[in-house]
Amino acid sequence: MSTMAEDGFASHKRDPVKSSVGGVASQKRRQHAVAVRKERRESLVRAKRLCRVGSSGDDADTPLNNAMMVDEEESVLDAQAAAAVEELKSAVANQGKGAMQKVVGALRELRRVLSRTEFPPIEAALEAGAMPLLVHCLAFGSPDEQLLEAAWCLTNIAAGKPEETKALVPALPLLIAHLGEKSSSPVAEQCAWALGNVAGEGEELRNVLLSQGVLLPLARMMLPSKGSTVRTAAWALSNLIKGPDPKAATNLIRVDGILDAITRHLRKADEELATEVAWITVYLSALSNLATAMLVKSNVHELLLHRLATSTSLQLLIPEAAWVLSNVAAGSVEHKQLIYKSEAVIPLLLHLLSTAAFDVRKEVAYTIGNLCVAAASEQDSGRLSLILDHLVFLVEKGCLPGFIDLIRSADTEAAKLGLQFMEMVLRGMPNGEGPKLVEREDGIEAMERFQFHENEDLRNMANGLVDRYFGEDYGLDR
Amino acid sequence: MAMEVTQLLLNAQSIDGSVRKQAEDSLKQFQEQNLPAFLFSLSGELANEDKPADSRKLAGLILKNALDAKEQHRKFELVQRWLMLDATVKSQIKSCLLKTLSSPVPDARSTAAQVVAKVAGIELPQKQWPELIGSLLSNVHQLPPHVKQATLETLGYLCEEVSPDAVDQDNVNKILTVVVQGMSSSEGNNDVRLAAIRALYNALGFAQANFSNDMERDYIMRVVCEAALSKEEKIRLAAFECLVSIASMYYEKLTPYMNDIFTITAKAVREDVESVALQAIEFWSSICDEEIDILEEYAGEFTGDSDVQCSYFVKQALNALVPILLETLLKQEEDQDQDEGAWNIAMAGGTCLGLVARTVGDDIVPLVMPFIEENITKPDWRQREAATYAFGSILEGPSPDKLTPIVNVALNFMLSALTKDPNTHVKDTTAWTLGRIFEFLHGSTMDAPIITPANCQQIITVLLQSMTDVPNVAGKACGALYFLAQGYEDVGPSSPLTPYFQEIVQALLTVTHREDAGEGRLRTAAYETLNEVVRCSTEETATLVLQLVPVIMLELHNTLEGQKLSSDEREKQGELHGLLCGCLQVIIQKLGASDQTKYGFMQFADQIMGLFLRVFACKSATVHEEAMLAIGSLAYACGPEFAKYMPEFYKYLEMGLQNFEEYQVCSVTVGVVGDICRALENKVLPYCDGIMTQLLKDLSSNQLHRSVKPPIFSCLGDIALAIGQDFEKYLMYAMPMLQSAAELSAHTAGADDEMIEYTNSLRNGILEAYSGILQGFKNSTKTQLLIPYAPHILQFLDSIYVEKDMDDLVMRTAIGVLGDLADTLGSNAGTMIQNSVSSRDFLNECLSSEDGSIKESAEWTKLAITRAISA
Repeated sequence: MSTMAEDGFASHKRDPVKSSVGGVASQKRRQHAVAVRKERRESLVRAKRLCRVGSSGDDADTPLNNAMMVDEEESVLDAQAAAAVEELKSAVANQGKGAMQKVVGALRELRRVLSRTEFPPIEAALEAGAMPLLVHCLAFGSPDEQLLEAAWCLTNIAAGKPEETKALVPALPLLIAHLGEKSSSPVAEQCAWALGNVAGEGEELRNVLLSQGVLLPLARMMLPSKGSTVRTAAWALSNLIKGPDPKAATNLIRVDGILDAITRHLRKADEELATEVAWITVYLSALSNLATAMLVKSNVHELLLHRLATSTSLQLLIPEAAWVLSNVAAGSVEHKQLIYKSEAVIPLLLHLLSTAAFDVRKEVAYTIGNLCVAAASEQDSGRLSLILDHLVFLVEKGCLPGFIDLIRSADTEAAKLGLQFMEMVLRGMPNGEGPKLVEREDGIEAMERFQFHENEDLRNMANGLVDRYFGEDYGLDR
Repeated sequence: MAMEVTQLLLNAQSIDGSVRKQAEDSLKQFQEQNLPAFLFSLSGELANEDKPADSRKLAGLILKNALDAKEQHRKFELVQRWLMLDATVKSQIKSCLLKTLSSPVPDARSTAAQVVAKVAGIELPQKQWPELIGSLLSNVHQLPPHVKQATLETLGYLCEEVSPDAVDQDNVNKILTVVVQGMSSSEGNNDVRLAAIRALYNALGFAQANFSNDMERDYIMRVVCEAALSKEEKIRLAAFECLVSIASMYYEKLTPYMNDIFTITAKAVREDVESVALQAIEFWSSICDEEIDILEEYAGEFTGDSDVQCSYFVKQALNALVPILLETLLKQEEDQDQDEGAWNIAMAGGTCLGLVARTVGDDIVPLVMPFIEENITKPDWRQREAATYAFGSILEGPSPDKLTPIVNVALNFMLSALTKDPNTHVKDTTAWTLGRIFEFLHGSTMDAPIITPANCQQIITVLLQSMTDVPNVAGKACGALYFLAQGYEDVGPSSPLTPYFQEIVQALLTVTHREDAGEGRLRTAAYETLNEVVRCSTEETATLVLQLVPVIMLELHNTLEGQKLSSDEREKQGELHGLLCGCLQVIIQKLGASDQTKYGFMQFADQIMGLFLRVFACKSATVHEEAMLAIGSLAYACGPEFAKYMPEFYKYLEMGLQNFEEYQVCSVTVGVVGDICRALENKVLPYCDGIMTQLLKDLSSNQLHRSVKPPIFSCLGDIALAIGQDFEKYLMYAMPMLQSAAELSAHTAGADDEMIEYTNSLRNGILEAYSGILQGFKNSTKTQLLIPYAPHILQFLDSIYVEKDMDDLVMRTAIGVLGDLADTLGSNAGTMIQNSVSSRDFLNECLSSEDGSIKESAEWTKLAITRAISA
């Protein structure tokens, strides 16, 4: 039997910096084998996802074979793309009879190849020289069919990788030109779609587009009352004004009739269009004070809330609407008063605060909180001053439990919002009502959870509040 | 009920094997027949002052082993058995143990201390034995020294066994007070003081609150530093070990003490005995570890809200610390390169220097260069070696801009030293340094190449020549070649190594045949280098790689010819099989990756598979991990053709899946099941009953290492993808398992980083299973079978989204599953999906993700949902 193992003291030997390659290398080799396996699993799942069999109930083999094909298909697709570009090249060069039909046919073939899978052979098409040909096909006076197909090809290319999107730069002036009123609406819509993709790629391309004057024609496309063109334009615009430079947003709100169109769409349009428009208002309110002021003046916040109240699929709009409101509420005192005074807003906010999904509640809490404070006046005391009547009104309407609920959440940002509001209640409610209200809603218990919380800010804040308002003296005067 | 066990215990330690065997059997029999009496007798023996020390000590050891074991499930059993024991017996045993702590016999006390801690480890978390700590601590000041020493020892072991949350803060305070008082220089008895310091080492984990209190912390730190200056070597050593532990546990509290600690450690590194000096160096290595972690984390996220701030101790101490470390490099041992386990001041100092370089980057270079320049050409080999070692150590950390010009000057010198230096030690370190140069400064991402057409040939010639040097130098030369090849990994269609490919392969194969290739793992280094050369090779050399196949096959064949092997030879054979199968795995993967090369390779497939099966047959109880991995690559290369090997191979697959003990083998086999599924597709169906049975068994076992479970879940997805709607019959087993695992992994509240990481890997596995099952059923007539499971899947997605602690991988897989639901179930799931948090918020978050692959998945999912809703 073994003797007592010497339970020696922990030895601290670490791996020497100078070591042989063997051990580490075989470990890496095995890890590499596992990584290769993961890649294969992923590409198989991706292939399965892309595989769509028109009619269900085929024999079980079909999807598998199709899935297998996808890998092989890549090189086949590349070849097809190159061939399509070649055909387009010769069609464009050919001036003879039926030349136009041949160009359209070649464009259509290229467009099909570029739409074939989720991973279209864009690179191959570009390498084969597609871009100059497509720009050529966008020339003024070309037949609509040709313009449409060329813009469609460009839309697909713009949806590709960043460097592929950038390849569109030579085509941008013509795409923008075809947004004008003289174009047929399918062509204009297709061009807007392509431009929206480009705008979505990043700030650099957005600036290129803006400098080429894309904003006005796109904004005008939004003016009619309905139709897919309006929706596409709205979507492209929302991509365009994303910022971070607020100039585009400010310019947009100045466009004649745009504010009217926004309110009109929010009031009357179908859900999908309203959603796109709501996105526009999100960016407008987030980036531009001017826009925010104008939106508030036109009661856009009420419209949004009305949407929320009547919408059949609430989820679609709630985050956008809540976001707009919180942007508005963070603004000037006048904005705050506008929101506060509109009858529909407050009850709905309170309703959302108690029932909505967590993220929405956070936005709503931020909105309500902001309604109650104003930036400190000249004496920069570093503290926000309360708008007391707002606070009293909101608390009387029963918003406190919603905030206390946020204090209890695991999300530190939300908890902080809750604590800050509670601080205002404790400090601001007249006649020392604050502490009693907080106690009644189990707020003390909620704060005590932070006694040993790892987040120092929250801990100090909560403990400070408990000490200050519920310290030894609390309750003596009752 | 106690029985006389003295003679049995003495016989169990007899030199006479048969006497020993008989005694061991009797003890075992006694234990099995009457556990309470057995344990009680042992505790009585341990407590009895009239018994010989040897029997008492063994009694304590057996008692200890009856309470704890290394294997988790065995440990669990022992704990349960102890808890079920009659309360009276337990209390009698415990009182014997406590009584023994005051025995005059040191071994008896020490053994009793360990057993008390084991019992405490079981009982305190159950809120039993509440009086233990109080009774240990009562009167501690009035105790005679030997009892005080035993008490402190017990407290130390107790802190090692029990988790901090099982002891209330009041008791922690009391323990620390007693321990720290015992450590102080006013304690006259060195044994007591040593026991106290060792106890503190284990108690540090309990001292969170005390380390947050400035006064208590100051006191503890003062006492530890004081002990580090003790005249007694053991006390100094234990005190430095505490400092090392404090460095990593309480890094953020160290600022006020760093000046003192620097003085103490510097003195120890320069003057103290080796064991103490090593710990003093280790202190700085640990500080480097902490700062590297903090700085890495800081660089990772721009928010900078990580909870620990970097105090830049290393940067501040740099000018004084580097010279001390450089001095240590001159204290080499003669034969340290031949001894794999060697560890001495020079090695520790160089390792620390490497960590310092990683911590401070460029700043270290001007502090080390003068040392290198001064020593590199000295006649004393120690100086040349130390200079080279210093250079090699600082190559990771500083920027290439800083290092490349220096390396360009040094490279020729190094190459010539590798061939001409008369000292092996210097050559060894030189070859290693070249490897580090190639590892960190050579590769496609570097602006200025170190290796150019002008010097490439010379470098390769020198390295190949060094492969004929003594084994340790040859091994390091292989290592340098390994990184040289790796640097050309993404070099494009044409590699600068192509002209030398054949020569390099030949040289490496020659190394594997050296008679002394077993020394210093030279053979392993040669094969792994060969693997890397093959892996990083280009199309140009594909034919040469193909020619390598029969060569390696022949090697493998030859190892299988040997007759009856001794167990030693068998182990060596197993190792060699591993190397050769690993090599074949890399070659198969390389050649299988493109259609042209695969075609040429397929002529060997039958023979290779035959060899792998013979390798499996060499082992009786288990399967060879490397062979299994190679088969995974082979399956991929063969595709559906692999079906012909399945009848013979299947039993080994099953054997691998059953291997709970060697969980890596199990894990590799699970992965291979996935490879086979992708290769065979629905031809794997006949084997699925067996495989599924085994996988489900694995999942419900608590013996299997937890790391295997995520891949098993992913594997369920692989199977479902392969067999599609035929997975129907497994749904009723697999789905509940996935569901309960999903519930367990939904929340991570309060878990540590490691647990969160594991939970995420578990979630990923579960989600991959869902993806596989959903996609497997897509377009089949049986999709409606999945509808009942959809609400739970959505709920799982919602709950992990709300939890906000997903890593990127889980996020991508999860958003994909949302799309799979829509894709497969179509309008059946439309409303359900629209009403879930994940469909809107989660999807939006993923759509705006900066991670391209998450965004891509999300875009597909958006499309799938749109289709499902409009359908």
